[in-house]
Amino acid sequence: MSDATINYKNIYYPPGGILIWIIIFLELFTFGAALIAMVFYGKQEVEIFHNSRLQLNATIGMINTIFLLTSGYFMAISVEELKRKNIQKFKQLLSLTMLFGLFFLALKSFEYYAKLQEGLDISYNTFFTFYWMLTLFHVIHVLVGLIILISVYFGINNKKSTTTIEDVEASAAFWHMCDLIWILIFPVIYLLF
Amino acid sequence: MHKTNTITYIILIALTIASALLSKLDTTYVAILILLLAVIKFIGISFQFMELKKAHPFWKGAILGFLILFTVIILAV
Repeated sequence: MSDATINYKNIYYPPGGILIWIIIFLELFTFGAALIAMVFYGKQEVEIFHNSRLQLNATIGMINTIFLLTSGYFMAISVEELKRKNIQKFKQLLSLTMLFGLFFLALKSFEYYAKLQEGLDISYNTFFTFYWMLTLFHVIHVLVGLIILISVYFGINNKKSTTTIEDVEASAAFWHMCDLIWILIFPVIYLLF
Repeated sequence: MHKTNTITYIILIALTIASALLSKLDTTYVAILILLLAVIKFIGISFQFMELKKAHPFWKGAILGFLILFTVIILAV
């Protein structure tokens, strides 16, 4: 693995690289606009949104937040270990990162199954249309993030690998982006209305 | 470095539990408080976990700008 020194203070080299940060901002604005639209509709259908919010299990939402935060924590310290050239520790921590990502997906699947059993599908009302669209779109990002992390995990050991620390940081930044988006989704969907 | 990340992680978990408990209260300012806690968590992840604290001020300003814009619009809608 090559390890060129990066000057983060350069405007063109934020941690992870400029391209991933452009993607992060695009994603944040997309999810942000959708959440603002949800709040807008929520003001017009106050009772429907309040009653629908009560049909969600905030404890599941909270546990899922804890899963993602724990995963993000392991991701952050795994990158530190990689910078210390402790590859074995990096891989252990990256495995834990992915494990908690899988826990998130498992609990989300359970929640989706319960909602579908109750008949609360995407066409049930405006609240659940937003619920399904926002959370499913987020789940797709988590799945893509997991695929990226798996490729990093198997690619890092390859002696012919051209993987740089910036590549790993870009993957980590994508994974943390899933945390950032969830941090905005969780209070608006599960707690606000 | 691990220590700072660990402290940040503990704070993030505490804030998550606090926001879930706050949502059970029936007071006027509960929405503002929940959003405020989300803003703090967002800053914790972006500046500490994503190492934005080391980045050029442009990137710090951009993420804070987004956060302020998002929060103000949500509260104003």
